[in-house]
Amino acid sequence: MRHVQRRHPMFGIFWWLMVLFLYLPLGMVVLYSFNSINSTAHFAGFSLRWYRQLLENEELFSAFKNSMILAVSSSAIALVLGSMLGYGLYRHRRRGLGWLIALIYLPVVMPDVVFGLAEMTSFVKVGSWIGLFSPGLTTMTLAHVTFELPFVALLVYSRFVNMDAALFDAAQDLYASPSKRFTHVILPEIKPALLSSFFLSFTLSFDDFAISFFTAGPESATLPIYIWSSIKRGVSPSINAIGSLMILAVMVAVIIMLLGNWRKRARA
Amino acid sequence: MTASHDAYRRFRRRETRHLLWTTAPSVLWISLFLVLPSLYLVSMAFMSNDTYGQPTLPLTLSAFDQLAGDGVLGWSPANIYTLLRSLEYTVISSVLTMLVSYPLAYYIATSRRSLRPVMLLMLVVPSWTNQVVRAFGWMNLLAPETPLSDAASAMGLLSPWMGLYPSPFAVMLGLVYNFLPFMVLPLYNSFEKLDVSQIEAARDLYASPYKTFWAAIFPQTLPGLLAGMVLVAIPAFGMYVVPELLGGGRAMMIGNLVALQFAEGANWPLGAAGALVMLIATLVGIWLLRRMGRKFGGGEEVLV
Repeated sequence: MRHVQRRHPMFGIFWWLMVLFLYLPLGMVVLYSFNSINSTAHFAGFSLRWYRQLLENEELFSAFKNSMILAVSSSAIALVLGSMLGYGLYRHRRRGLGWLIALIYLPVVMPDVVFGLAEMTSFVKVGSWIGLFSPGLTTMTLAHVTFELPFVALLVYSRFVNMDAALFDAAQDLYASPSKRFTHVILPEIKPALLSSFFLSFTLSFDDFAISFFTAGPESATLPIYIWSSIKRGVSPSINAIGSLMILAVMVAVIIMLLGNWRKRARA
Repeated sequence: MTASHDAYRRFRRRETRHLLWTTAPSVLWISLFLVLPSLYLVSMAFMSNDTYGQPTLPLTLSAFDQLAGDGVLGWSPANIYTLLRSLEYTVISSVLTMLVSYPLAYYIATSRRSLRPVMLLMLVVPSWTNQVVRAFGWMNLLAPETPLSDAASAMGLLSPWMGLYPSPFAVMLGLVYNFLPFMVLPLYNSFEKLDVSQIEAARDLYASPYKTFWAAIFPQTLPGLLAGMVLVAIPAFGMYVVPELLGGGRAMMIGNLVALQFAEGANWPLGAAGALVMLIATLVGIWLLRRMGRKFGGGEEVLV
């Protein structure tokens, strides 16, 4: 809306209550990660013992490593395929591509459980036929690329749409070869979209639980899967410590992002 | 004539080739790793169940029979209840999300312009932490003997020594918590674009605040509301993590029922039948919300 209006003070109170609602569960995770006793109901005093326990946990480190490998490799593949698709969609958007759009939205709207189980059952089937695709990092990567691809395609597509089409014509008029046009015109223009697609894919992959859970093998637990199985086994205080580290990572990322924005605004 | 015609044909052919090599890899990828697997999963629903829970021939409809409740011990409505419960939780949590998000979006949209991005960020940041970790935060908060549970039992809402978790309440709370930002963002966009002259016109014509709201404000925010509903209700219906962690055994949703059939339940055809029902419900839901969006949203296209 255009201007600040006089509002009932209840709105402000409600706003702060909702902020409390959103941050309280995260705050509890952080608070209990410093608890000196093994309890989530009583806080007995400050201690770092759960963090110290994490340092000796090899399962946790291998889960973190798997998460990183999975996120980087799947984002890289999705980036290549998705940006090609995004460019194709832009160049040929005047043709009837409705079916293609529907296909792209399929991974986005499909329930995670159905998605994961469809992959799992068919990987098992293909595995029994030709011995490929035993559950593990490979099958997880295939599944992750599938759900990251649409996001990359749509981000790259919208970057192209917002770009000045005269740039392409100018390059062509100046007799730039297709490869020159790509490296000197297209690539610099879509670089921000490529960067944000990669980070979005990385985050989606790193955060995903359900689809990874159904396509994972015995040796390929990711961080969320590790946390999940720790919860099911009931080892709570160390989960609070891992959870706090993950919350810390998000907060650091947000601060870096904000600083970057401020610097950009200061330069402008 | 023919020369330019030839040139045009060559151009068309080149364009088609270009369309093919840019889109074919992704189309192939999604077909191989999502469409075909989904068709395979759906086909499983029409197979019979061998002693290990694996699907075998002959083709039958017994999985749907079992889903409807027919079993060795006669008819039991447990699966039907799970389906209805999923719908109930989806509807209640979406409506709650809507009721909470509406004033929030209004408040942000009417705040100082420089504050708005920060306020939106404040709402979104918690959803960037992992879903499993967030659910675990609620488990910490709602477990028996925690202040919240003690307060609830002191008010007589809860029998003593019981926690607020696990419970249907915890599941719905978890759903609202998860999807709140997805409702606030499209609603905020609607409020941002609000045509203030309509409100002024209503005031000039001496409409009561109540009338002004329903006649001048609400219809303008309806597209945002419906877009938010698509982003909240559709994934809420298929949710797996929240009911599994916050619900215990008593608040299972359809996603958990389906997943269970592929694990301890050891009945893949039954699970596949449930997955088919989930898919159909999801597509019908999207179709309905999009239709409503087009009807009420005027020229504006609803997200997804």
